[in-house]
Parts: sequence; C-alpha cells; structure tokens
Amino acid sequence: MADLSKIKQEFLEKLSALNKEADVLNLKAEYVGKNGVVSELLKSLKDMNPEERKAFGPKANELKDFIQDQATIQLSKIEVEAINKKLAEDRIDTTLTDNIQVKTIKHGGYHPRTLIQQEIEDIFLSMGFDVLDGPHVEDEFHNFEALNIPGDHPARDMQDTFWFHDPHNAEDKDASGKKRLLRTHTSTIQVRGMKSRKPPFRFIAPGVVFRCERTDASHEMVFTQLEGMMVGKDISVANLIYFMKTILKEIFKKDVEVRLRPGFFPFVEPGFELDIRCLICEGKGCSVCKQIGWVELLPCGMVHPNVLRSGGIDPEVYNGFAFGLGLDRLVMMKYGIDDIRHLQSGDLRFNSQFKLY
Amino acid sequence: MLVSIDWIRDFVNVPNLPAKDIYTRFTLATAEVEGIETVNEHLEKIVIAQILSFEKHPEADKLNLVTFTIGNDDVRKVVCGASNVKVGIKIPYASIGVKLPSGLVLEPKKIRGVLSEGMLCSEEELGFAEESEGIMELPSDAPLGLNMLEYFKLKKDTILDIDNKSLTHRPDLWGHFGMAREFSAMFEVALCDRFTKEWSDGLKKKFTTDKAPVTPRFEGDSAGLSYWGLSVENVTVKESPEWMKTRLKACGLRSINNIVDISNYVMLELGMPLHIFDRDLIAGNEVVIKKLTTEETFKTLDDIDRKLIAGDTVIADKNGTLVLAGIMGGKNSGVTEKTKNIFIEVANWKAAMVRRTSTRLGLRTDSSQRFEKTLDSCLTERTLLRTLELIVELCPEAKVIGKAEYAGVNLSETKLLTIKTSLKKIKTVLGFDLTDSRLKSILHALDFKTEEQGEFLQVTVPTYRATKDIEQEADLIEEIGRIIGYDNITPLSPLDVIAPVKLTEIQKIQRRIRDFMVLQGKSFEVMSYPLIGVSLLKKVTWPTETSLKLINSLSQDHDLMRPSLIPSLLEMSEANSKNYDRFRFFELGRSYTEDKVQFTKEALQLGAVFFDKDKSTFIDMTNVVTNLLASLNLSAEFTERNVKFSNPLVPAEWIGNHPFEFANIRVMGKFVGAIFTVHPLVLRNLKIKGHLTIALFDLSLFENFSAKDKTKYKPLSKFPNSTFDWTVIVPADKQVLEAVSAAKKVKLKELQSVQVLDIFPNENEKFVTLRAVLADESGTLNSELLKQAEMALIDATLKAGFNLR
Repeated sequence: MADLSKIKQEFLEKLSALNKEADVLNLKAEYVGKNGVVSELLKSLKDMNPEERKAFGPKANELKDFIQDQATIQLSKIEVEAINKKLAEDRIDTTLTDNIQVKTIKHGGYHPRTLIQQEIEDIFLSMGFDVLDGPHVEDEFHNFEALNIPGDHPARDMQDTFWFHDPHNAEDKDASGKKRLLRTHTSTIQVRGMKSRKPPFRFIAPGVVFRCERTDASHEMVFTQLEGMMVGKDISVANLIYFMKTILKEIFKKDVEVRLRPGFFPFVEPGFELDIRCLICEGKGCSVCKQIGWVELLPCGMVHPNVLRSGGIDPEVYNGFAFGLGLDRLVMMKYGIDDIRHLQSGDLRFNSQFKLY
Repeated sequence: MLVSIDWIRDFVNVPNLPAKDIYTRFTLATAEVEGIETVNEHLEKIVIAQILSFEKHPEADKLNLVTFTIGNDDVRKVVCGASNVKVGIKIPYASIGVKLPSGLVLEPKKIRGVLSEGMLCSEEELGFAEESEGIMELPSDAPLGLNMLEYFKLKKDTILDIDNKSLTHRPDLWGHFGMAREFSAMFEVALCDRFTKEWSDGLKKKFTTDKAPVTPRFEGDSAGLSYWGLSVENVTVKESPEWMKTRLKACGLRSINNIVDISNYVMLELGMPLHIFDRDLIAGNEVVIKKLTTEETFKTLDDIDRKLIAGDTVIADKNGTLVLAGIMGGKNSGVTEKTKNIFIEVANWKAAMVRRTSTRLGLRTDSSQRFEKTLDSCLTERTLLRTLELIVELCPEAKVIGKAEYAGVNLSETKLLTIKTSLKKIKTVLGFDLTDSRLKSILHALDFKTEEQGEFLQVTVPTYRATKDIEQEADLIEEIGRIIGYDNITPLSPLDVIAPVKLTEIQKIQRRIRDFMVLQGKSFEVMSYPLIGVSLLKKVTWPTETSLKLINSLSQDHDLMRPSLIPSLLEMSEANSKNYDRFRFFELGRSYTEDKVQFTKEALQLGAVFFDKDKSTFIDMTNVVTNLLASLNLSAEFTERNVKFSNPLVPAEWIGNHPFEFANIRVMGKFVGAIFTVHPLVLRNLKIKGHLTIALFDLSLFENFSAKDKTKYKPLSKFPNSTFDWTVIVPADKQVLEAVSAAKKVKLKELQSVQVLDIFPNENEKFVTLRAVLADESGTLNSELLKQAEMALIDATLKAGFNLR
C-alpha cells in the first residue's frame, strides 16, 4: 500500500520551490496527469478487494483534488507577482496633479455674482416670480419719468447719470423723454414688465446698472441690482413684509428679523428702508451695524400710483409693492470681499478662488 | 440737520425717555438719525467742593495730594496737578464714573502709587472753555455739594443728527417747530402752537403809518414767489444772549452778533431762511427781484467773488446786486458792528431755480438747502413776525418804520389741497386693523383737517405739506403707517392666483452655457466693464468709429460702449498673461452698437479665451465649442474665412485675424460666431507671448433657433459592421478634413462614417490612415459589396489629390 501522506509531503516540497508557470504545470502532470503518481494509484484501485478499495479510494481522490487546488493557487500567485512587477515598472508619480504646477489653472468656476444671482433667482422662481431683464441703454422716460422722477429731480443731474445726450439742452434730441442714458437702476424694468403683462403678476429683474461715480473699494460705476415687483388686488404692506421676511430667510439661511422705516423714493409711496437685525452681533451692537443693532439692507415700498399708470395699470383697481436689492453687496458680505472693483477686473487671481459649482 | 430736544420742548412736552428710545422712535416714524449726542449731562454729576488741605505727592514734585469736602462731612482725596491749589477755595469735583465732554470716563486709579477718587476740573475739562489753566475757582459763596448744572442754571440737552437725505421730501422738517409736530404725533402729546393769530396781531401793532423806507418790487419773471420787507431802526449790534448762543452752537452754528444770530435762530426754529440787510447800505428806496440779463461778478458774504450768469435771480438796488436770491447775501450790504438800521427780507423762491444756481456755483448754504426742498409761501409772514419778535426782545430800543411791505403771489388765494380717502382703503393697504378714532387723531396731530363724507373722509392738507410732499391718497397712507409704526404690522401672505413660472429660453441657454463652460470647458467666468476707452480699441486695432460715446464720462478709459466683447477679452488676457502661463476664461456680456432706429442695439455675447504660452489653443477651443453647440442642440457648420461674405462678429479687415486658425460658425446659414487665434501682431501690442484663441458668439441669435430636442433614437444593429482602413498621403498645403470629406462623398448607403485612425508625420507631408465603417441594417455585408466599397473609397481620395501610401 502506497504512503499517501508521504506523496503529499513530497509534492508540497517540490511545489514551494517553483516560480515559473511551466514548472508548476509539469509538476502537476507528474502527479495527477495521465500517468502521474496519483493517477496510477487510482488506476490500481480496480485491482483491490472491496474492503481495501473502500478504505483507500476516498483518500486517494482527496489527495488528487488537493494537488490540483495547490497547483492552481501557486499558479495565480506567480501571475500576481508578474503583474505587480510590471506595475512597478510602469509606476507613475501620483502627486503630479495640476495643483502643484506653477502658473497653470485647469479647473473652472462661476463668477461669485453668478453664484449669488442664480441662488436668488431660484428662490424667487420658487415663489412664483418671473425673471426679466431689459436694455442697459435706456431713455429718460423709462429711467425717470415713468418712475415718477420729475424733470427737476436731483437724480437727473449730470453727476449721477451717464448720458448720451445733454439732459439740459432742449435742442439735443427731441425733448419728450427720448434722451438716452445708461440705466441708473433696474427699476426701469418695472414699466417694461408692467406693460408686457396683466395683473396679478410678480417678477424680479436682476442686472447691471450704471452710476457716474468715482470708483473706490466700495463704489463702482457699474454694479448689479435686483428689482422686484408684485402687482395685484389689495396688496398690503403686511404682504410686502411677509415676502421680504420669507425671501431673506432663504437667502441668509436663517430667520431674519426685519423692520421697516420711512424712506423716500419717488417711485414708491409709502416708501421704506428695510433694515435687518445685524447678523454679526444679533442686535447687540457691533462695528458692522455701527452699534445700532440693525443693518440697512434694501429700499422698498408700495408702488406709486403714477408708476402704475405709466405701466398702463389702473391704480384704483390694482396696487402692489416693489423692492430693490444690491446684489454686489450680498456677494461681498458672503465672501468677505474687500474691494468691489475685483468683481469686474477679470483678474483670475480673484476669479480662480471661486471653484464651487 | 442737528435737532435740539431742548428746543423741541419749547413746543411739545417730549416724554423723558433715554436718548436711544427717542432715536429709535424717530427713525421708525420719520427719518434716519445718524447720531445722538448729549449736552451738559456731565454737569449734573459734577459738584461744588472746598479744599481742606494739601500736601506734596510723596513721589512726584509737580503733583499734590488734595483733601477736600463736598459737604456733610464727606471728605475725599484726589491727586491734582494744578498749580492754583489753595486751601479754602471752592472748586468743581467730578467723582468716579463721570464722563467728561472729551470722552474721558473717570475710573478709580492710582497715580504714582496713590489712589485718586476722581478729579478736580478746569474750565476746559468741563467744556466751558476751549483752553484754560489750573482748576476752576468758584465764588466763595458757591454752595457745597450743589451740582454745576443747577449752579449755573444750565439745561441738559440731547442733539439728534438727522440724515439730510432722508428729509429731502419734507421741507416742513427743516426747523424745530416742524420737528416738534412730528414728536407731538409720534408720542401723542399736544403741540403748543404759539404762533397764533393773536400773536401775530400783537406784533403787527408795532407797525407804524410811516412810509416804508424800502419796498420790494418784482421785475419780470424770476425765481421769486413772494417777498416781505420790513424796516427797523435803531438796533444795537452786540453779543447774543447765552441761551441763543447755546442753541445755535448745539445746532452747529457759530454765534456772530445778535442780528445775524436772530436770522439763523429763526431759520432753525421755523425752517424758513431769511436775510437781514444793513438798510443804510441799500441805495434808493426799493429792492428789485429780477433775473440777471448779463453776466456779472458778485462778492458774497463769505468774501468770495462769484460769477453770476444771465437767468440767475438776484435782489438789487439801483446800484446793482445785493443778494443772490435764496442762496447768500452780498458782502457790501450785510450787517456789521456799525449797523443801526436794518431791512428784513423774508421771501420764498422757486426750488429748481435756486438749486440750479447753487449747484452751478458749488455754493450750498443752509438757505439754499432749504429753498431747494420747495418751501411754503404761506409761512413767510410768520417767519417775518418771529424775526421782529426776537429783534425787539434783544434790542428793546429798536423801532419799526412803516409796515411789512409785500410783493409776489396773492397768498390769500392759495388753494387748499383736499384728498379723498377711507378707513377701509387705509386698513387694506397697510394690512393693519386701524380704528377710525386713531386714524383721525393721527391726521389731526399732523395738522390735517378731516371731514366725513359718508364712508369717505375728505382730508385737507396743510399748505406747508402740500408743496411737493403730499399729493394723493398714497401719501396719506404713509402718514398713518409711519406714525402707527410699520413694526406693528403683522406679516401676511397675499391671496393670489397661482401660476407656473419658468426661466425664458435665453435665460436657460445662458445657464447651460455657464454650466458647460465651467464644467466641460474648465473655464472661469469673468465680468468686465461694458464701458471702455479709445486707447484700448487702438491697442487692439479695433475700429473706433462705431462706438457709442457718453457725454459725461469720468475718464477717457471708460467713455465708450464696447462694440464687441473682443477688446475687453484681450484687455483681461493682457493682465492675466502676466500671472499665468495657461488659462481659460469666458464672459457672458453685452455689446452695444449704433442703430439708426432704436439708437442702440444690445447683443448678448459669449466670449471665451484659451491661452497657452507654448502651444496652439485653437483645436482645444474648437473641441469645446463643438460640444457646447451640440449640448445646446444646435447643428452648427464650421466654415473657413471668406473675405467676400464676412462674419459681422469679426471685421474682415481686423489685423487681429489669424491667417489659418480661423473658423466661422453658422447655424441655419446665419453667422452666429467665430473661433480664431489672435494674430501675433495684436498680441505684441498687448505684450502677450503665446497662443491665444477666442471664441465669440452672438447669443441674441440663439433665441431664434428652437432648442427643441431633436434627438432620434436608432435601434442597435443586429448585424456586425465591417471596417476598412487605408492610408493616404496628405501634402503640406492640404488639411486632413479634405481627405475625410472626399471619402464621405462616396454614394453608398452602407457607408456609415469615415474618420481618422492614425496620423504619421513624414517630413512636410502626413501619412493619414482613414477608417470607413460599413454596415447594412438588414443583413450581413457580402464580400462583393465590400470590395466595391473599398475601391470607391480609395478612388474618391485619389481624385481629391490624396495618393495612396
């Protein structure tokens, strides 16, 4: 009777010394191949008596399976070693990303104004406001007259408005509100919006506006505003406060305490300045709120009847509210930007800091 | 404007609230308060003390250790540096915690090791003098322990600094009496209006039947509305009394002499400016209010020569201009110490004309500032009489000659403005549950008269509110709202129709372009000024004549509307190339061009810039743009530059055009954009070294192409396709696409695509391997057909001039 355990021992010893695929296959054949040691043993089973066969058969088969498994394991071990060796040869420097290369930027990003403006547009869209825009080069009518800003109002002076025609010269262009200028506020879109729809309606109009003003860290001659308007029947100051509170809560992502106080703007009556409880000190008083606890945020009011008339709406039947929001100020507040002029510099050292999608 | 609460208390009993509460209430009801200051408050805590003894400070020669009493055996010690310390003198003592006018708050502190319980004060430290030496010595009969406020019979005051801009629409609030009415309404306490008919009748008794020495006369049209003149003789020009000086000082005005001070005091009290002449310096017996017809030079009170022009309104005597109407008096007719006889002018002027002249001269005075707001002519007489009242009070020896002489509009014919409103309307618009009695009490407190007319209320507006401020119902609603306090209104959602809202197509396109350019194009979004200058256009050699020009720009670098985004893109590239070797950015912005009919045409443009110091960026840009257009569902056509049929977005004659790296982009035959590398000549002007490619699109055209999703799904073929590869030689003067296009022209329905498999450069030429894919949706291709197709493809490229390798 052959010593199975000795065969097994022998096989394992030989196998462990092999590191080539062909050698392993040869060794495997030597044992379990057609004329292999174990195969021969199994062939001899038929010459044994039933008792012997019963005792020896399962053990021999077991050995055969064992040898086959061990050979497969050794083969895959050799294969993995070979692949890993190849990987080691092909190894790359995984740290050579764009970020460590000098003077190169390869990612993209939105302008911070866009980030804020789209967020706010989406908030208003979700509350049923359309988004409108209009021309930057406007006429006197849309920028002033239609908004109840009469001819002798200081806002029409040369120092605030960029003009294409002399506002004081009657011969320069025909007089009736046609003189061109760069819009000084997005309120110009109020009249365009009213004329293009029937009440009730709600819309906002974000966009750039122009002021004839010397620039410095906090003043720009080109900046962005967001105008908003709602017109319907029996709209109230209480409704205005409701919308402002709700929208500001979305913008600042927390409850915002607001207060209205009288503010004078020709296109609203009553007109308000809306203050918010200082978000920095929560009203205790700090340098941001000048120790008052409140920060002036936006002008708003009930649309002046003359403005409704300019938009072809009967103020006896309908009324509404309007508000204006300085978008650049929100952008600067959110990111702590120290100089408003960076926004329109196109300087990628500034823009590349905004990577958020 | 500075408002003294003490002065307000002449007319209304303002409740004794902390300054901060007054500030808040006033801000919420009337106008923005920029600051609050308390006057004399410290004096209440500074008491009279008497020095008992003193000794040298053990460690400092110049300091004394002073022991004193404030009465009732209360003995204290301070360290004092004054040289006039003497036993027995009475001095003011400020204890720990007192805040002095300098802002210093006294704290318990050790001076060179010795504890000092406060401070003995000098006149300077008390705010009595601008400079003083030593501690203030008080008379020996000054009662110990009495505070300085009581001892000197002074009053505490609170000064509100109100933002002038927030009073623009309220001419009635430019004086304390008008302000007092606001306080009366907001605190619901009665207003004491002492300017009654009895009061004015009493003062008019001082008029005499003499002929007035000077009378006013209007000559032609001018800024003048109404003009009162009154002559007073025998005044004594001297120092004003303390109470008047204190109030003027509190409101930011310097005391000059009693007569000048009276004119300022009345202006600050009643809100209407006035002017007092030295009557002996008026030539002749009339003053004429007129428009100048020629230019002249006029020396104003501040001793500056002002250039007046035709159309400016002046008050003149027979020798010439005396006063620049509503703005400032003349140097040569003003009150001096020698003045004995005066002529008082109280007049009203047209706001716009005063403003125009004062703006032109850069001369904004307390006077012009008020007239600009549109004052009420009906208030002129009251102002005149109040001036007279003060003159006889301060100069009892003065005498009126004649009566007040008037010229101008007939004041008795002033029409009263009435407005119809209703409680219901006011409640609805405010969203506040207002009672009828509260409504009326607010209106009455603000001097409006009311009359019931069924469910309506007829409201009569006081003349001084009707000049500009109150015109209609909405204005009344504001009056009610602000006095109730908007913070008392509960927020409420409106009841409104619900309708779907969405962005417009062009807004969606803009968002998608941004998303694509950022995420796929790996570019930064930038924004630049739509205002540019001719120097930039010249630098980038862009045509200058088509730009719209501002007439009042602040700088020549920003006086033109940009005709294209390209100059702006190049300007930003110039700056960025100094910091980066490679970059990508884009802008969505407008271009502005002249339009005969509309004046201007604004077009929304997309401009993208790819820059690389070392290698061409043209292909990268083309790939990004191709995918961008596909993502927008636009089937675009890229064509070469054609001089005869040039792209309006890039002028054919612009030297910035690259001779080879240029492609027009057309959608449905229309030019919508271009991709081009900027010619090194232009880059040289900008000191940019490298390759810079720009893609420019006119998005206003995109709106016209429906962005409908036209994607059609094709079932996946059940049969295998075949490929055929062949290699052609592309000579140096030809481009690869020509070979591909030639092969694509083969008319064979089984031909699915022809693309480039491989390119191998060989000296000047290129070996290009093309791969054609052939397939039949109905079955497997037979070898016969394949052979034919291969022959046809090779033939096609050969005929187009591409030899087989």
